[in-house]
Amino acid sequence: MSPLVALIVAVPGVAAVASGLLPSCVGRPVTALAGLVTAAAIVALAWLTAHHQSPVDAVSALFLLPVAIVYGGAGLYSHWYVVAERDAGEAGEGYRREFLALTNAFACAEAVVPLLTNVAGMWVALEATTIVAALLVRLQGTDAALEAAWKYILIASCGLGLGLVAVVVLYASAGSALGMHHAPEWAAYMHAAKRLEPDGVRLSFIFALIGFGTKMGLAPMHTWLPDAHGSGPTPTSAMLSGIILSDALYVIVRFTAIANAAVGPGLARGLFFVVGLLSLFLAAFFLLQQRDVKRMLAYSSIEHMGIVACGFGFGVPLALTGALLHTINHSASKSLGFFAAGRLADRYHTREIAGIRGAASALPVSGGLFVVAALALAGLPPFGIFRSELMIVSGGFGSSAYVIAGIVLALLLVAFGGIVRWVTATTIGDPPDTIRRGEAAPYALAAMSIGFVVVLGLGLAVPGALGSLIAEAAAVIGGTS
Amino acid sequence: MNVHSLTLPQAVAGTISVALLLVQLALLRSVVLAELITLYAVQSLFVAFISLAVGVQDRQWDLIVLAALTVAAKVVILPLYMRHLSRNISTRVEIPERINVTLSLIIAAGLMGVAILVAGALPLRTGAFLPQADLATTLAIVFVGFLVAILRPNALAQVIAFLTLENGLYFGTVTLAPGLPLVVGILLLIDVLVAVFVFAVLVRVLVEQSASASVDVLQRLHG
Repeated sequence: MSPLVALIVAVPGVAAVASGLLPSCVGRPVTALAGLVTAAAIVALAWLTAHHQSPVDAVSALFLLPVAIVYGGAGLYSHWYVVAERDAGEAGEGYRREFLALTNAFACAEAVVPLLTNVAGMWVALEATTIVAALLVRLQGTDAALEAAWKYILIASCGLGLGLVAVVVLYASAGSALGMHHAPEWAAYMHAAKRLEPDGVRLSFIFALIGFGTKMGLAPMHTWLPDAHGSGPTPTSAMLSGIILSDALYVIVRFTAIANAAVGPGLARGLFFVVGLLSLFLAAFFLLQQRDVKRMLAYSSIEHMGIVACGFGFGVPLALTGALLHTINHSASKSLGFFAAGRLADRYHTREIAGIRGAASALPVSGGLFVVAALALAGLPPFGIFRSELMIVSGGFGSSAYVIAGIVLALLLVAFGGIVRWVTATTIGDPPDTIRRGEAAPYALAAMSIGFVVVLGLGLAVPGALGSLIAEAAAVIGGTS
Repeated sequence: MNVHSLTLPQAVAGTISVALLLVQLALLRSVVLAELITLYAVQSLFVAFISLAVGVQDRQWDLIVLAALTVAAKVVILPLYMRHLSRNISTRVEIPERINVTLSLIIAAGLMGVAILVAGALPLRTGAFLPQADLATTLAIVFVGFLVAILRPNALAQVIAFLTLENGLYFGTVTLAPGLPLVVGILLLIDVLVAVFVFAVLVRVLVEQSASASVDVLQRLHG
């Protein structure tokens, strides 16, 4: 194992143990530092991978980037968050230590998933993230949090159960090619793709898309997502939305590559359209009628995962690279959105959209960044999501899938309407007199600046190294032949 | 592979896979939580035996150890623990009127038919431990497990349905992918976590609810 890879896993792991054992006044800087060091290590690994000097492939390096963006921010944000919870009288020392330890453990499990190429190992690591995430969601101890936690464990585990069927069926499909006791390495399956049982691979892909798609929040398996993302602590929501969804997509991408190589791209593309359009459709209309800021962001996650799935459905290189870039953009803007929404909810003591007025005056920076995140998520230029959505939709028109590309465009407009409506409602105007104005929370602002820089930067230009990573990953997935 | 070349462990395991399915169907007609827990324990005993049979056949000691752990955890400790937890709450599992036992069994039979058709269409037979039954049984248990979870509005019954679904996955992993004992171990661990965490939390919530409800009754009696 290369030292960088070891660092990416060991830093959050050690931070988890340290912040669990030490008092939270030490745990807070430890967590913030761990997030930044891990982020730096991931960026270095991605850069080396783009220059072909790394032990991991382009797909792994690419799907590690959401961990860098979101965990880097969440570590800093937690530094502010646990104190804000204490000032609000909601958290004791035990809560703070448990929260910090679990947050680092969560990041550790999330960083392991994209590093693995063993298909069974990916499943194990995703299960681990489910368990840690449920413990985090439950942490606030309210009835809603408990319900969200057990719903999450049951539905995500049922989904992952179907994912396991996919792993097992793939394993059996390779029985004659690789033997009944082989190591389920992705590269071995790719190498033997033409000798796998084609019907077994097809069945395996269907189960993988349904099973891991549950974890990715694709409709109609999305029902747990708004509860879990809406109920947990804010950094947890950001990590659930910004990293877990891309981790699940990582596993689906590995299965897609095998399916495309073994049986051609037709099956995968058709199924991606079904779940993608359904997710977009449901999310667009739920976005119009949400009343809770964090649930709104959660439905927006379903929308964006639907867009990514449609990009995979179009299958042409432009749409595939757009979908992969969209994953990174979504992680950045969604974590920014949750961090800013958490600041608003803390100041206004509510998550109801109706209760938040004039946020841009009360919290000039956080309120402004909240608008930025929302407009970015709605797909407005000059932010990164505009670029990747444009790539996906024009890829769709370029591949002559006019009807589907048209539907995607129409649903994007509906979602846009929903988001703009609630953003104007919460930020414009004067805040109530009881609300304190101004803000001084350097760590929270630093956390948000990470997401802001990424989402704005990727809108202006895609760095060459990232571009070549994405192109290489898109070539691995294939699906154009 | 024809029937005559089956080894003794394979023949017994084939019979047991039928019993596994019967237990899964019995979940649909049970209206008492304790009975569901017992059915889960019995089914776990069966899958432990399958693990033992594959382990003996393939000389895989890890599967034999896992079989022993499964008996200890899923046949003895967890069922006793869940019964202990639920001793103070109403354990009747309501069956919705629109889909009664007969209709739900017919749906389950349909799902099993789908499972057999899907599995029958796949030539995953080379070197498999239970060439006639592995995938079909796995899918049937998973499908019917989902059916139980959907048809029973009772959260505790849904947890048991999930645990039996896990038994189906356990069976599938052991028979279709005997080279993945780690996955089997993780499945066992998840069952323990779900039983200890989810089941316990749900019971706590239910106890609080029934406590407040009984207080209401007392107040009403006082007028």
